[in-house]
Amino acid sequence: MGVFGLHKNSHHSHGVRNIDFYASQSKIRHWNDSFKVASSCIILLLCMILDQPEVSITVIVTMGIVNIWANRVPALAYIGLLKVPLAFLAIGCIIIALGISKQPMGDYRVFLCGHYFYTTNEGVGRAAALFFKAMGAVSAMYALTLSTSASELAGVLKKAHVPKAVVELMNMMYRFIFILTEVQGRMKTAAVSRLGYVDFKASCYSFGKIGGNLFLVSLKKANTYYDAMVSRGYEGDLPFWEEEKQVKLWQAGALMLYLCGLAGVYILATR
Amino acid sequence: MEAEEIIRTEHLTYEYQAGCPVLQDLSVSIHKGEKIAVMGSNGAGKSTFFLHLNGVLQAGKGKIFYGGAEIRRKDLNGLRKHVGFVFQDADNQMIASSVQAEVAFGPMNLKLPKEEVKKRVSEALEYMDLQGYRERPPHYLSGGEKKRVSIADIIAMKPEVILFDEPTAALDPLGGELLEDVLERLSKEGKTLLVSTHDVDFAYRWAERALIFHHGKLAADGGTLEIFQQEQVLRETHLKKPEMLTVYEALLQKGRIRKGSYPRRAGELPGALI
Repeated sequence: MGVFGLHKNSHHSHGVRNIDFYASQSKIRHWNDSFKVASSCIILLLCMILDQPEVSITVIVTMGIVNIWANRVPALAYIGLLKVPLAFLAIGCIIIALGISKQPMGDYRVFLCGHYFYTTNEGVGRAAALFFKAMGAVSAMYALTLSTSASELAGVLKKAHVPKAVVELMNMMYRFIFILTEVQGRMKTAAVSRLGYVDFKASCYSFGKIGGNLFLVSLKKANTYYDAMVSRGYEGDLPFWEEEKQVKLWQAGALMLYLCGLAGVYILATR
Repeated sequence: MEAEEIIRTEHLTYEYQAGCPVLQDLSVSIHKGEKIAVMGSNGAGKSTFFLHLNGVLQAGKGKIFYGGAEIRRKDLNGLRKHVGFVFQDADNQMIASSVQAEVAFGPMNLKLPKEEVKKRVSEALEYMDLQGYRERPPHYLSGGEKKRVSIADIIAMKPEVILFDEPTAALDPLGGELLEDVLERLSKEGKTLLVSTHDVDFAYRWAERALIFHHGKLAADGGTLEIFQQEQVLRETHLKKPEMLTVYEALLQKGRIRKGSYPRRAGELPGALI
């Protein structure tokens, strides 16, 4: 299992590529996929519906533990993965809390450019609640995606009677993301080794050129990919081998316990 | 002893773009159990030829026959069942999330019952010594391991003919040895093997017959020994003479080696010396 640590692109700290990698080495990747999807969705919905910061924070922390311990994502890497939704949420919540007025209003305000930028206690409270709620949802989703590979997720959709074409398209698109990122990575490395990123101007030029070529090179690779599939009898159907995974009683029990726990936190918080 | 013919092409012509024929008037007959090396410079048409044999490409002009029956558009899938193609870049073949799903892709496409698919996957994994890799995601394997998976892929489909596109290209010496072992085993099982390669020494060592491509045409077709002795052909098609053959000829001149012994590998040399 140690060989996974030597993955050659481990210097990337962002990107879909790493999520796939973690999913492939998660401790719970053998759990039934539909069960994992259902659990994440239920937890996410509960977090949204109960709409209590205490519940949300519980979800963030517990899902964080699941991700770091069960999905074996190093803590720093997990924080890295959280950075992007965090940034979006932070900006969004600030805007929600903020009001602009010509009159002095609110509990906290600052005067800039002829206007008052203010917020109220209530506003801050709402923004914070929203922030935690959204981060809870994100954490629950990460628990799913960091433990279940994309083709397994597609398999769940298939079982849910999503049209076959959509599911197969999802699978192919997902694989092509990897082709694209791989090609882009290699082109960038080659450019870097020829000082293509030595300063801002050179970087812009290199970036543009790579972007332009990326499409062509990936298209060619995709064609070869298609040939390889056709040569093995691909006829338009992608009947992926699906492992039969049983839901174990203790897993269902653990989920029930967790949901009761969340309900308990809610009751305590609203008393 | 003339084994039965298994694949035949007649005047096969193909162009990727109008006016640029990649294959020209290619007529060749391949027999069951043959070990054929396909050689020629890059761009000479080797891969395109393979893609035709496997039913991925359809000829612009000309015909392909499998087992005596002509292959038409609707028969292409049938051709793919009998002819397997191991691509040069194993990465281009990896499609699934686990090695066993990957190896199952071919048999699943053959619409075999689930139990049969399971059996074939197990057999193929055992054949290529990949039992411990069942659950591993193919994308994260080393080059040599990926290559073994890509071969297991094809073995699981149980084709009669297997095409290898420059299989030794990315392999380290150990990988190269393992590959030759696999080729040996497959050959003993009666499979017809075509290997495209730049490695003349490998071709001399392993193949019985050589097809030399040059600008889309078949410049030479015959036993490996006789082809490699034709200096003119080698010159025109930019091929080197195999080292062991050059050594043999030099020793023969000095009368140090038995005439007609033609050692194919270094290990056979001591036994042939006088």
